Amino acid sequence: MSNRPQAQAESAGLNKTESAFRVRFGRILGLFRRLVSNPTTVLGLVIIGLMLGMAIFAPWITKPNVPDPYQMPRDWGAVRMPPGTPGHWLGTTNEGGDVLYGIVWGSRTSLQLSLIVVGSTMVIGTIVGSIAGLLGGWVDELLMRIVDVFLSIPELIFALAIAAVLGPSFANIIFALSVVLWVKYARIMRAQVMQIKANDYVDAARVIGDSKLNIYLRDILPNAVTPVTVQATLDMGNVVLIGATLSFIGLSEAGIAEWGVLVSEGQAGIASGRWWASTFPGVLIFLWAMAFNLVGDGLRDALDPRTEGR
Amino acid sequence: MNLRDYILRRLVVLPILIIGVSIVVFTLTRVGGSPIGIYLSHEMSPSEVAEIKARFNMDKPVWTQYLYWIRGIFQGDFGWSGVAAAPVSDVFPIKLAATMELAFCAGLVALFLGITLGTYAGARRNRLPDHITRIIAVSGASMPQFWFGIILLIIFWANLGIAPIGRSDATIFASIGHPTGLYTIDSIIAGSPKALWDAIWHLILPALTLGFGATAIIARMMRSALVEELQQDYVDAARAKGLAERIVIKRHARRNALVPTVTVIGLTFGFLLQGTITIEIIYRWPGLGRWMADSVLRGDQATLMTYVLFTSILFLMVNLIVDVVYANLDRRVTLGK
Amino acid sequence: MFDDIQTPQSQEGTKFSSVASVRDLKVHFKAKRGIVHAVDGVSFEIRDGETLGLVGETGCGKSVTGRSFLRLLPVPPGILAGGSVQFKPQAACGGCNGEGCDSCAGTGRAATGEQQVDLLKISDEQMRRIRGDRIAMIFQDPGKALNPTMTIGAQVSEVFLQHRSKDLLKKAGLPADIGGSVGRFAHQEPRFGDGILLRVPPNRENRKRVQKALDVMVASSLADTQVPNPVKLMDRFPHELSGGMRQRVMIAQALACNPDLLIADEPTTALDVTVEARILDLIRDLQQRRKTSVLYISHDLSLVRRICDRVAVMYAGRIVEIGPSEEVFRNPRHPYTRGLIAAVPAAGTPRGQLAAIRGSVPELIDPPAACRFSGRCLYETSACRKHDPVLYNVSEGHSVACFIDHAAPSGDQPKYEKETT
Repeated sequence: MSNRPQAQAESAGLNKTESAFRVRFGRILGLFRRLVSNPTTVLGLVIIGLMLGMAIFAPWITKPNVPDPYQMPRDWGAVRMPPGTPGHWLGTTNEGGDVLYGIVWGSRTSLQLSLIVVGSTMVIGTIVGSIAGLLGGWVDELLMRIVDVFLSIPELIFALAIAAVLGPSFANIIFALSVVLWVKYARIMRAQVMQIKANDYVDAARVIGDSKLNIYLRDILPNAVTPVTVQATLDMGNVVLIGATLSFIGLSEAGIAEWGVLVSEGQAGIASGRWWASTFPGVLIFLWAMAFNLVGDGLRDALDPRTEGR
Repeated sequence: MNLRDYILRRLVVLPILIIGVSIVVFTLTRVGGSPIGIYLSHEMSPSEVAEIKARFNMDKPVWTQYLYWIRGIFQGDFGWSGVAAAPVSDVFPIKLAATMELAFCAGLVALFLGITLGTYAGARRNRLPDHITRIIAVSGASMPQFWFGIILLIIFWANLGIAPIGRSDATIFASIGHPTGLYTIDSIIAGSPKALWDAIWHLILPALTLGFGATAIIARMMRSALVEELQQDYVDAARAKGLAERIVIKRHARRNALVPTVTVIGLTFGFLLQGTITIEIIYRWPGLGRWMADSVLRGDQATLMTYVLFTSILFLMVNLIVDVVYANLDRRVTLGK
Repeated sequence: MFDDIQTPQSQEGTKFSSVASVRDLKVHFKAKRGIVHAVDGVSFEIRDGETLGLVGETGCGKSVTGRSFLRLLPVPPGILAGGSVQFKPQAACGGCNGEGCDSCAGTGRAATGEQQVDLLKISDEQMRRIRGDRIAMIFQDPGKALNPTMTIGAQVSEVFLQHRSKDLLKKAGLPADIGGSVGRFAHQEPRFGDGILLRVPPNRENRKRVQKALDVMVASSLADTQVPNPVKLMDRFPHELSGGMRQRVMIAQALACNPDLLIADEPTTALDVTVEARILDLIRDLQQRRKTSVLYISHDLSLVRRICDRVAVMYAGRIVEIGPSEEVFRNPRHPYTRGLIAAVPAAGTPRGQLAAIRGSVPELIDPPAACRFSGRCLYETSACRKHDPVLYNVSEGHSVACFIDHAAPSGDQPKYEKETT
């Protein structure tokens, strides 16, 4: 590390990494300030906070069902109770399941679903996109054609088909969504790599002697964080939406504490005027998706200097 | 590159993508257990099983099976639907017509409402109509369509009793012929106002539900496009001619704002297409979506895979057309600047 | 403040009549950091038939001033903070119906008994009647100022449909009070469903007649700007035309109704030099024939000198010098004007430094009570930093806002002897 021109350049002026960190920190602070200046974004953040709280503190809000807390409790003595019944403030389902329980534990389910799917798709997509962008040539062509094919099939339909052939289960829904949704990140990542490869300062770094990996880690990756974060935020909401739709259609196990399943099972009571079993869980899906959409939009606006004077 | 090259390139890539999709679909058929499971039963002897396997080419290598499958498709053989108890190719067109009718009406609703709302909001930027439209836009994008449908059903069907379920009243439906499969068109052809009203009456709620999300997409795009156009010089130039503000916005700004809005049509189409699945379940609409949902639950693979293939190809073509139209319009706009 | 500037009541006022006079115009803009005083007390006259140049660098407020005549300012964030713009609208000459005769000296316009109006205070409807009809405007970049998705013919037609409906109907042989969809078409008030109604006879025939008469008017207006083949041009879109042609279309559109005043906002800035010369000739030719008054806004001094009778120099939202063009150029009194003229490299100037004015335009948020050119002025003194000069008449028709020519309330007076190379 002593003879390379890069090291000399570093020791010549300020320590490069330290000042870069300070600049980045300042930028993050500015970003944060812009985020909270937008009231709709703040609303979204608040809702997310509440949902998170509900998910984390679920066992303390409603007593967990035994043996499996993710199964809706069945209380045959309290079936079809309307909202306002003491002990079952949001009513009960056809099988005596407490709707409030379903909502609270459903938030846990949704959190797990969205975190796992978004996490894995982000990683897979980033890796594939980076490889395509960095290596170029036929690897790039091949990978991007695969991405294009995946994008040709509408998301919901694709996930539906995968979950259908694998069999109805919540785990299969998670898997299906992961298979379908990674392509967006691949595209974003590849575009970022392409863009930065064309930039001058990458050539400058190359001249100093930085290895390709170093350039990647230090220059490309941090810049790509922006669009990837926006997409991930929006996906957190979207995944729960699609997942609930798949559950509603029937690709999940029956009787679990999941919002989509609850809406589906609540349908039967509508003709007889029992609206609560479908309505309340649906509200939660709506709030969840909306909150992440608001935050995602706010993030996108805060990160893009052009939309300042909207 | 010029327009012709662009179109040519897209047309060349299209079949490659379609083949790619077919490979994905074929892989799915082989992933989920044996695709000929419906033909087998426990009572069959091993030789009978082997015979059936040979008939369906299951004894050959995978890629040969793929080619047989493709050949079957080109011959119009899409397999047997367990749900419908008929060949898929027989049932598909009827269901398709029902779904197309619904999706088309929803699309019209979305187009009309979306453009109107978007224009209204864009012209009154940052004032009340704008804020309301923004809320609607976000709601539309975040709203679970199936839940929205259920809510509307609860209100208008269960409580108020003014909305129907399904596509038609059975007797009225049976009273006319069905040459096209589109209830509205068929009732016009048959000259039956009662049937026409029956068709429209049943369409209202599902079309509104399905169209809501799409309205949000279009309104949002329209609004930002209009805001963008209102900042252009030609808008001021139009005002300088003494034109009424109404004309300035509609004839000048909005017409140009429609150009970028075209790009959203592909997205809207995808949205409508996927929405039909749950909407048809809720409103008991006898279209592709409900058939698909049943197929999913009852392991009717032939139907499912045909559906995936069909919708993907449709999706690809719609996007292609939209992109070409946009490239054509955009050329006029960018060359002018 | 008014004592020193030209008004009809001033020394030479009785010799000239004005088509418009701006009195202490103030236009401010709300910005995040405060209120920008973009135009801060501007007063001048536009005389009948003259071409007045309004010169200044980007950001001095000249465009805003021009747009104020038609109230084309975005009203938030813009604020009309004070002053008035007096205008006396004329009308088509009765004797020749606008064609041009002896009684109107060929202009086609004659004074009506109408009152002078304050353009800043009239109602929106009155303003819309004046826009395009009595006052017209041509914009800087004709590529951007024409609607890219409308044909040339359609765009020019709009002016006639808006202001000349009666003539149009008469030429089409239809009664002036015709109603229904045809009437709405001729008066440019489209209603939902008119598209269908107009395809039904007898509406269809009547509409065709109106359209024919309209096409004649549009073609003749385009022909006035010397475009080759006006009829073919009408079916073209702006992007099919060259820059020069587009500007001709703009001019045709603007002069279609024979306005009293034409506001030209840097009309040749976006054009090539050769095209520019032709457009300038066109403007001057049309202006001379019809005696239209022109407010010519530009940042290009040499250009203004060629075609304007008088010129007003603007700086930081104020007029710093105004007078006959030749006089101002040969004898510039304000240090800023001097700097501007010196900054233009003339052919034959020996190589060396470009004479730029040091410093930059001040930010116009809550400007202090000092001369706005202080800090950049070569001759400034302490007086300049404490007091704000007003326009002061220094010779026949020539006024300057600088303490060089009249003493400040206190402190030393700047002198030209301090001049350095």
